[in-house]
Amino acid sequence: MFEIVIAWRHITASPRMVLFPVLAVALAVMVIAAMMGLMESYREEIISSTVENSPYLTVEPKEGEDYIHLYKTLSSVIWGYPGVEAVSPRLLGMAAAKYREQVKGVSIIGIDPLLEDPLLGVQSDLVWGDFNDLAFKKHSAIVGAKLAEDLKLKPGDGFYLVRKGVSLKVTPAGYIRTGTGADESLVYLPLETAQRLMGEGDVVSEIGIKTSDLYEAPAIASGLSRDSFYKAQSWQDKSRNLLNLLDTQRFFTYLFYLLIFVISGFGVVNTMIMTISRRTREIGILMAIGANRGSIIKIFMAESLILGPPSAALGCLLAYVAAKLIEAFPIEIPAEVYAASRMSILLSPEIFAYAVAFAMMVDLAAGLYPAYKASRMDPVEAIASA
Amino acid sequence: MNIIVANKLRKVFGNGVELLALDDVDLTILEGEFLSITGPSGSGKSTLLNMLGLLDKPSGGEIWLKGREVSQSSSLERSQLRNKELGFIFQYHHLLPEFTALENVMIPQLIAGADKKAARHRSEELLREMGLVERLNHKPSELSGGQSQRVAVARALANRPSIVIGDEPTRNLDTKSSEMVYELLRKLNREIKQTFILVTHDMSMAQKTDRILRLVDGRIVSEMRRENGGFVECL
Repeated sequence: MFEIVIAWRHITASPRMVLFPVLAVALAVMVIAAMMGLMESYREEIISSTVENSPYLTVEPKEGEDYIHLYKTLSSVIWGYPGVEAVSPRLLGMAAAKYREQVKGVSIIGIDPLLEDPLLGVQSDLVWGDFNDLAFKKHSAIVGAKLAEDLKLKPGDGFYLVRKGVSLKVTPAGYIRTGTGADESLVYLPLETAQRLMGEGDVVSEIGIKTSDLYEAPAIASGLSRDSFYKAQSWQDKSRNLLNLLDTQRFFTYLFYLLIFVISGFGVVNTMIMTISRRTREIGILMAIGANRGSIIKIFMAESLILGPPSAALGCLLAYVAAKLIEAFPIEIPAEVYAASRMSILLSPEIFAYAVAFAMMVDLAAGLYPAYKASRMDPVEAIASA
Repeated sequence: MNIIVANKLRKVFGNGVELLALDDVDLTILEGEFLSITGPSGSGKSTLLNMLGLLDKPSGGEIWLKGREVSQSSSLERSQLRNKELGFIFQYHHLLPEFTALENVMIPQLIAGADKKAARHRSEELLREMGLVERLNHKPSELSGGQSQRVAVARALANRPSIVIGDEPTRNLDTKSSEMVYELLRKLNREIKQTFILVTHDMSMAQKTDRILRLVDGRIVSEMRRENGGFVECL
């Protein structure tokens, strides 16, 4: 197409004229790609820290009941669902921990460690000890590191768990540090020991489930709820407010991208208008020798669009460099300011694809008006212009 | 054969204060004519040329191009006619500055949809005819005024148009270059019966053509035709 030939020649003949629109769009691409990477990383970190210490899914007792009685049967049913990687029955309760003069309220989780560890990877959070000891030592416990500190426990010292007149002596088999507030009150017990403490028989409070895909949890939850009388909730159901907040944040970030889109677009429009103004007579000549209005539009749209790929490429490169620079200088941010532990930028192939699409869209949109105006020129006036 | 027929051609400029640039002009141009249009500044010469060249629409009247009424054709139709039936030579060569002489002559052919190789071949032939075989790959900034205007002539002929329209084609050239360009046009008119309509203020150049129309205040006031080596008044 001759229009592309002419557009290409216009660009290569005036490289300085195209430098500014290319830079404008490249900078916009860089900011958007880096922001998207930052937001994506932030979202991933939030979600990761949300599910790190909780099951992806929990099955809760039937309506009107406090406990799941047939948890073993239910567990085997749950294993039949595709994508299920871990199933762990859990008995939850509150008790008092007493050691010498120290007394603290604690949260008890009664589990089978051989089932619980695949669910939450508890062993990796242990400061010392072996989580699997709970399977072999009936009166052992894994204690939150902060709780142990508050009780002034020493390794090997036993302490008492008291609940509703029942008192049990347990010995720490390890301390756990999850990095959350749970460290101040968490006590893991073997399931049988917890059942004795709770005094409700062979029951559990919930069944925790882990799936191969974090985002498959809602589908499995609704399947379980539908197929049984039990209520199943995914982590998304439980973190609805958090996810809504993240979605709202994403919405406002998109508005920010739109603003960048418009600003960088103005840079391109400005350059295109200047270019067309310089080429008024040339446009008139082209019309005189037979180029129609559509061809004039194509020439200047092509000029605008040809700038898209180099702008995108440069912007992606700048985004990559910016990301590496930001990650090279770790910024430790207090947890109350930023829920994730450090700034990182996740530049996935999708983000680069969005960046390229963005650059093309900006150039397409920005080229439309100038190209249209060029095509509406009167050839006689254009030829006669100074 | 009548190449162009203009009936009661009228052009009015302006919305508030109106200016009558062409006042009921009747004109018939035969195939193979070598015609010039003269007149004082503001007489309507360029306006008439713009009408005949389909660069502008008349306010009234008709234009027949090879038997087809074209005065109210759409923008797209007029573009196509300008590309295929008309060639233009402007006062300033108006070559595209970023393209070589060869490419400038190729462009109208590419607009017409010609194959690139064929366009290149024809362009080389035309420029050879113009004596510019050594300047094919030179840009307009590397050509003299006369050379640029010869490239413009080649461009005007690229699509074998029915008519070539020249608006003061030698105004910005020195005498020698002007003579050269006019001789070239004369030669083309004789050899290939190319129809030329040229606007010029220079009577010495007009007298190189075969028919001279004089325009004053938007009207044809006189017409002279070459006869027996001189000119005779027809109007």
